[in-house]
Amino acid sequence: MILDLHTHSIKSDDGRAKVENYCKWIRKKELPLDGFVLTEHRQFDATSDYRHLEDEYGLVILKASEVETDYGHVLVFGVNDDLVNSFDFAKVDNPLPMVLEAADRCGAFAAPCHPGRKNVGLFAHYENKGAVDGVHTVEVLNGGSIPGEDELSVEQAGQRGYAGFGGSDSHIVSRIGYCATDFDADIADIDDLVGALRTGNFRAVTYREQES
Amino acid sequence: MRFEDVELGDELPVEHPDTSLPKIEQWCEAADQHFARFVDHEAAKAEGLPGALVPGIMSQGFLLAMIHRWAPGCTVHKIDTVFRGPLVIETELTITGAVTDTDDETRMAEIDLTIATEEGRTGVIGTALVSFAG
Repeated sequence: MILDLHTHSIKSDDGRAKVENYCKWIRKKELPLDGFVLTEHRQFDATSDYRHLEDEYGLVILKASEVETDYGHVLVFGVNDDLVNSFDFAKVDNPLPMVLEAADRCGAFAAPCHPGRKNVGLFAHYENKGAVDGVHTVEVLNGGSIPGEDELSVEQAGQRGYAGFGGSDSHIVSRIGYCATDFDADIADIDDLVGALRTGNFRAVTYREQES
Repeated sequence: MRFEDVELGDELPVEHPDTSLPKIEQWCEAADQHFARFVDHEAAKAEGLPGALVPGIMSQGFLLAMIHRWAPGCTVHKIDTVFRGPLVIETELTITGAVTDTDDETRMAEIDLTIATEEGRTGVIGTALVSFAG
């Protein structure tokens, strides 16, 4: 089962993609995605209901968050009320260990994204401040990466024993599916996704044209 | 180009706009944008920028020009851009567009827009709402 784990809609301040247009694009382009996860910036969108689109287009549409920490951006899957009340999602400098601990405690799953990004990614921060305990999984393929960044992510994740997943980081419709994650398990809801991420039984995949 | 000729998924021809210093200077003169950061690399670097920048509204002009070359006579009802990173002059930029939705009732199309740097970083993203002649 293949999911794009990192997408933004018009709910994000810099997102310009309507969720239904993502669905139309996936079907028109016959992308090999079974669904996608909306990871809006610095918030959790608790109110939007996309079940009618799931039914109409036969896609799994899940909701998560992209929060910001002192070690770069982090995707959080399985956000619930306890986690939302654990720290301020709107802050741009949440301590990474605190975010990881809160996610664990609340039954969610937190993983740094685009860790190979120059100056602002997790591994750039590691160089300056040292590694952080508790990181176990990172986004090794990101659709917004430039040449060299994902390669660094894969290399560093391998050296540190981190599992790696993929996501497009799409902010406009036509970028969805550039990168994704291939799971062994079937995933129908956010609990399934958190469970599947915990098993480590998944692989990052890319469908960028030049690399396909 | 007529509305009937447009399909979801269509891609606009890729363009590489002229970002040479004379062209930027000409545009700044015409637009009355007299700022050193647009025409002087050293002045821009002194401000902490990677080099002289393509003015934001000029990059929006590049996108509009691409749409009009693709669909002569069309009307752009809305263009919405997000500036995500610097675009440096005298470098090769790549502009892309793709039709992401069509509406048979309004006979309009929504278009994704991007401008990427030489190294592949997307500096500008955006969308446009377009109707067609005929």
